[in-house]
Amino acid sequence: MFTEFFYILRKVGVPVSPTSFLRLQKALSKGLINSVDDFYTSARAILIKSERYFDLFDQVFAHHFKGVELTAPTGVDLAEAAKALLDAWLKDPQAIADALGIDEDSLSKLTPEELVDYFLERLKEQTEAHHGGSKWIGTGGTSPVGHSGYHPGGMRVGGRSMNKSAVKVAMDRRYRDYSQEGLLTRQHMGEALKRLRNMVPAGPKDQVNIDETIYQTMKNAGEIEIVFDRRLKDRLKVILAIDNGGWSMDPYIDVVQSLFDYSRSQFKDLKTYFFHNTIYDYVWEDPPRRSKPFRVDEFVRMDPETRFIIVGDASMAPYEIMATDGSIHIEERSGKPSVERLRLLAGTFRHSAWLNPKSAVEWPYTRTINVVREIFPMFEISLDGLEKMVSHLMSRN
Amino acid sequence: MYGVEQVTRFTGGTKYVLDEELAKIVNISMALEMPLLLKGEPGTGKTMLAYAIAESLKMPLIVLNVKSSMKLIDALYQYDTLTRLNDSRFGDSKRDVSKIEDYIKMGKIGQAFVSDERTVLLIDEIDKADTDFQDDMLDVLDQMEFDILEIDKTIKAQQRPVIIITSNAKKDLSDPFLGRCNFHHIAFPEPDLMREIVQVHFPDISQELLDAAVNAFYRLREFKEVEKKPATRELINWIRALNADPDFRVKELIKGDIPFLGVLFKKSPDYALAQRYVSRSRL
Repeated sequence: MFTEFFYILRKVGVPVSPTSFLRLQKALSKGLINSVDDFYTSARAILIKSERYFDLFDQVFAHHFKGVELTAPTGVDLAEAAKALLDAWLKDPQAIADALGIDEDSLSKLTPEELVDYFLERLKEQTEAHHGGSKWIGTGGTSPVGHSGYHPGGMRVGGRSMNKSAVKVAMDRRYRDYSQEGLLTRQHMGEALKRLRNMVPAGPKDQVNIDETIYQTMKNAGEIEIVFDRRLKDRLKVILAIDNGGWSMDPYIDVVQSLFDYSRSQFKDLKTYFFHNTIYDYVWEDPPRRSKPFRVDEFVRMDPETRFIIVGDASMAPYEIMATDGSIHIEERSGKPSVERLRLLAGTFRHSAWLNPKSAVEWPYTRTINVVREIFPMFEISLDGLEKMVSHLMSRN
Repeated sequence: MYGVEQVTRFTGGTKYVLDEELAKIVNISMALEMPLLLKGEPGTGKTMLAYAIAESLKMPLIVLNVKSSMKLIDALYQYDTLTRLNDSRFGDSKRDVSKIEDYIKMGKIGQAFVSDERTVLLIDEIDKADTDFQDDMLDVLDQMEFDILEIDKTIKAQQRPVIIITSNAKKDLSDPFLGRCNFHHIAFPEPDLMREIVQVHFPDISQELLDAAVNAFYRLREFKEVEKKPATRELINWIRALNADPDFRVKELIKGDIPFLGVLFKKSPDYALAQRYVSRSRL
């Protein structure tokens, strides 16, 4: 039963497993599901394993049980829609003018064809289904283009009248918000960075080592010998170098800030340095990059086991990274191109990574990102990216 | 085991307002004998649901609070070597030192398995543990048995417990894990449902205060950029605080004065932000 439903779910990209489908069958055969409502809730609980797919499930459900359009309106729909729009316009030009956001006078100057064109353009501009509100086309709302709105001349773009409540619920698409990726909050970063730890024994010997205690006691022929160990402590050294200059990093300030805040509370031994675009002879310990310069050569003397993390968009003019004296700051004249400095850093610290706030799909289009990626492994600042970075930084080689 | 008809149906607890959808999901998970995985914003009553089920079905509740350092074996059983060592040395207890079984203590999952009654097993905040723990645990819950290596004994569940698992993580749990449970996401309650929830907790709350508090609460939730939005738990604590304050008048709340912001916003940047918003809206 409902095999087709199952395959539509798979087709639209909801990961549903045959096992869970069989389980749904079991629920059906046990007589647990007696109505469409029951089916809706049970099928969702059994088949769908993440709230991100709830919205897709709602859509497929509405499609399968009520024949609601799954895809964008087709040409036929549009023609019908346009016709209905014309009707509405003839009946009530004022309302149409309000809804489309043009005044009545200019609307009345439009020929029917122009009006239809205008409407079609609206539909193109619109990037997602929209319900409610007064401008876009969708269901509900005051715009006469769309369906089930209160506007008397309202027309339908896909969708028919509804009567069954589960379908109605599905058509409400309550879970639309969950289908997008949420913001990366500090808590999530915490989750991701938690594994970035290197536990070493430190402090007073105050923990009983049970295995060793038993062993030593046995060796002592039962005379109890309690063995104490030092507590394990996180001794991971982390250096964070942040690109905080220029407008190109502006959009990412929030996410970098929370990354920085989080790492500060998480790592005992954290050093932070700042730079602009890329690294030449100096990085700075103060965010304005003025009073506390730090020679890059000094990094060589640091513990090579330190995890070196650079945060930056790595987007700049190619000469900044490739040319001798490439810095856009006149006072930074080192005689060495930045690319060599980056290589030095990558060679000094075996565990290094570059975190890029730009999403990975954009990387191939920026030349300097490609250059940097040859030197440092690059990860995007997202849950996945952070986790990959952590496992890279903690790997043995 | 149980036929469907015999399974007691869950209809909600005395302090828990249950929406119909969730009730259905709980019942179907119980009937299919599958763990139910609950996700949702913190404070939407994921943990409370398990308490409510235990209360309404009159089953004992066993809570396993997952910690990040936890190993699966801790949740199953513990072999108390130190006590045994002590007994063998001083011999002043009634336990038989040569019988290792006397020194096996059941962990939370173990307790749920050996219990004579059917229990509700709440595994709280599963996302804190690493993925290996999660997968191994689900194996145990799937088989409904585990081995005690030290005494070479298999513990089989007497009664399949009702298993509720909660997770706060935005990230998905592993696929094999998800494959073995039913899933529900508890959405944040609508204002009407919230009114009901508040009334369940404060049966003699005045209508005026109820409306004012709930309205203010939803207004506060709309603040942008707040990292941890106040949830049901915060609202209930807040109303408790309002009730406890003898100087509090409902009129102030309607005017836009919001006392005890600290009860609602628990992160200092959020608190500062909320204070700014509130003082602005009062002007």
